[in-house]
Amino acid sequence: MIEKGKISALQMGKMIYLAITPTAILTASGISFNFARQDLWLSPVWAFSGVIAVPVVLGLNRMFPDRSVVQTLRDTVGRLPGWVIGGALWLYYLYISGIVLREYGEFVVGAFLSDTPLIVVLGSLVLVCALAVRGGVEIVGRFADLFLPAFLLLFLLIVLLIIPDLHITYMMPILGDGILPSMKGSLVLQIWFGELSIAWFFLPHVSDRENAKKSLWITFGAIILTLVLSNLVTLLLLGELTGGYSFPFLILARYIDLAEFFAHLEALFMAIWVLGAFVKICVFFYITVIGAAEWMNLADYRPIVFPVALLLTLFGVWVAANYQEMTHTISTSLIPLSFTMFIVLPALIYAIARIRRPGSGNRYSSGRTRK
Amino acid sequence: MKLSNHLRENLRRLRAVYSDCADVVFHDMVIGGHTPAMLVYIEGLIRLEELDQHVVAPLRDGPGPNPALQDIRNQTTVASVQTCGTIEETVEKISGGNPVLLVEGQNAALVFGLSSWEQRSVEEPTAESVLRGPREGFIETMRTNIAMLRRKIRSPKLKVVTLHIGTCSRTPVAVIYIEGIAQPSLVREIMSRLNRIEIEDVLETSYIEEWIEDNRYSPFPQLLSTERPDVASAYLMEGRVVVMVDGTPTVLIAPTTFFSLLQTPEDYYERYVVGTAIRWLRYFFLAISLLGPSLYVAVVTFHQEMIPTTLMLTMARSREQIPFSALMEAILMETMFEALREAGARLPKQIGSAVSIVGALVIGQAAISAGIVSAPMVMVVAITGIASFMAPRFTIGIPIRLLRFPIMFLAGMMGLLGMILGVIIILNHMLNLRSFGVPYMSPLAPMKNSGLKDVLWRAPRWMLNRRGKR
Repeated sequence: MIEKGKISALQMGKMIYLAITPTAILTASGISFNFARQDLWLSPVWAFSGVIAVPVVLGLNRMFPDRSVVQTLRDTVGRLPGWVIGGALWLYYLYISGIVLREYGEFVVGAFLSDTPLIVVLGSLVLVCALAVRGGVEIVGRFADLFLPAFLLLFLLIVLLIIPDLHITYMMPILGDGILPSMKGSLVLQIWFGELSIAWFFLPHVSDRENAKKSLWITFGAIILTLVLSNLVTLLLLGELTGGYSFPFLILARYIDLAEFFAHLEALFMAIWVLGAFVKICVFFYITVIGAAEWMNLADYRPIVFPVALLLTLFGVWVAANYQEMTHTISTSLIPLSFTMFIVLPALIYAIARIRRPGSGNRYSSGRTRK
Repeated sequence: MKLSNHLRENLRRLRAVYSDCADVVFHDMVIGGHTPAMLVYIEGLIRLEELDQHVVAPLRDGPGPNPALQDIRNQTTVASVQTCGTIEETVEKISGGNPVLLVEGQNAALVFGLSSWEQRSVEEPTAESVLRGPREGFIETMRTNIAMLRRKIRSPKLKVVTLHIGTCSRTPVAVIYIEGIAQPSLVREIMSRLNRIEIEDVLETSYIEEWIEDNRYSPFPQLLSTERPDVASAYLMEGRVVVMVDGTPTVLIAPTTFFSLLQTPEDYYERYVVGTAIRWLRYFFLAISLLGPSLYVAVVTFHQEMIPTTLMLTMARSREQIPFSALMEAILMETMFEALREAGARLPKQIGSAVSIVGALVIGQAAISAGIVSAPMVMVVAITGIASFMAPRFTIGIPIRLLRFPIMFLAGMMGLLGMILGVIIILNHMLNLRSFGVPYMSPLAPMKNSGLKDVLWRAPRWMLNRRGKR
């Protein structure tokens, strides 16, 4: 392992929470609504990918406690296949980081800085992220420590201030068309819940491993709760209009008007949301960098941070021609792709490891364990 | 070089060392009427009367012929007498203010602990005054300062290790810690860093501060400096180490976190509710002093919708005539304010008030009525100025004042987003910082629950187990 830093299980939980919720709150509800309609709020409950991802990565970490992801791949499927899969994995993370970055960029350009070129918005954030990623997993973890309270506080503030304007009738009839619409709506959410498997990359660096399991499940629960809450208030405020907005939750922030003074909170919302998105991009950026560095057998990941940053900025521009195309990608081809990479791949590796070495032994002792 | 048996030989060497030193006195004397001896001291650094009474007078009719050094020593009535055997040691003792007695036929010298010099009396430190709590402050004499600490912590566990730093000045430096509370590894680390210092003179603790801090390029202070013995002893009880330098009332405390730089002794001397409220007020205004002008610039330039309409109209009206952009205006006014502040600080007190009158008139009234700056901008600058005075320690206020300017630029370019990015860059630096191995932003990040009760609020004393805190 080339990362020497240590984080606590709680920090890992916070990182993963912030690596999933910011964009899920913002973009997922609009897409889900087209399938789930008035059962939008129920969709996050069907978080099947998370239910698979969490035990799989925990199991993998139990079998390879101190081996990084790329090392685990080599240990289980051999050097060459491991190399191929490792390459695919970090390229996939580069692509996903590009999408996340683009979501951020579209949000900022679309809602606030409409005259600023997209590349400037993307580039400036990537530059800042690169500085944090150079600090390693410890620094990213500390950012999560610092920003999670701000993010949660703002989220709850908006939910609280919007309560007087909610129409409870918008969610009726509950399960009016049976359970199916809400499950269809949850399909796109599987991308976000699948992201729980990024814990695979962080678990080897957790110092209090015994708390990792609890921390991951709590994070999982907190994410579901957050999404149910955000989808619920979005639905109860906007009703049928939810699907028409690119960023429904932003409309909520815009809608708030308290005593003529607490009006137009969207700039504040953007400010805090950017903090969350920053951690999210840092996490995915970090995984890309560490994956690439280990895949190339480098002794240190710092030298490739800025080159990858450049690549990431370009990917942010390349992933789609415009926001509509990107939401289309997210709601169609990205679902099977991310299901494969987030869920099927770790599960497969876990299965192979179990078959080759039955019983969940501590350390996978293969003759070929090398760096 | 060893001292010789011959008085004349020793004197020749000492005179060579102290050539052209008019303040060094070589006092000829004869012990007991037969043994020649020489008393060497520096004028003004000794208690002359006591030297006369307790050394010179008893020795005049002292011990019999051919006395041993011990006999001579017993003859004097001084409490602190040491012996030294080399020229170098002798010179160091003399330069340190101790009278030294060289006796014919002895290859060792007697050192009398009679050094004394003019010193300031113990006063309340002006930079760190409190309404409630002890009012004494450290002074320029290390001996007195250590005694002040010892009076607060009367335990033999309070350890004082001294060393000399400065190839020319040979300034005494003391490392003070409490055994059993301070980590031995921390003490070792501090000692080894102090020993690595290559410097000619140490006039202030900042001389060694820049040598021993972890990141030498950071704008943030990584060691806490204080003039208050009560603050120093409180930190000693938390397991930190105090570094004291002779000749300055400021002592250093290591390791230091960002949040300990934002605490004042009064947080602990007042009731905890008050302490907590004031602490939050301080955090809030710290943010203002960093972000105040940039927030104004960002809102006026990019996010006008954030301001309630009526207020917006008033602001627009006052900005109508202004030739500058909000960013330009902010930078102009902030620079002016910093200049005023610096000018006021350096001037004699009698003229200082003139600066503030002229400043208030120029940057306040005249600039507005001439239509050069807008009234809201003056308000923002004034509020920011007040906010920056709230920084409880001068050293933490400076980086915040400086970093205000780049953030203003970012706010002028990208609005709130630019501000956020700027804040993230600063935080990134702070999260990377360490002070003697302790993360600078702890206990907030990495989060440590046991420490939060002294950061998010000032927990009542019975809940503050200070020793567990980092």
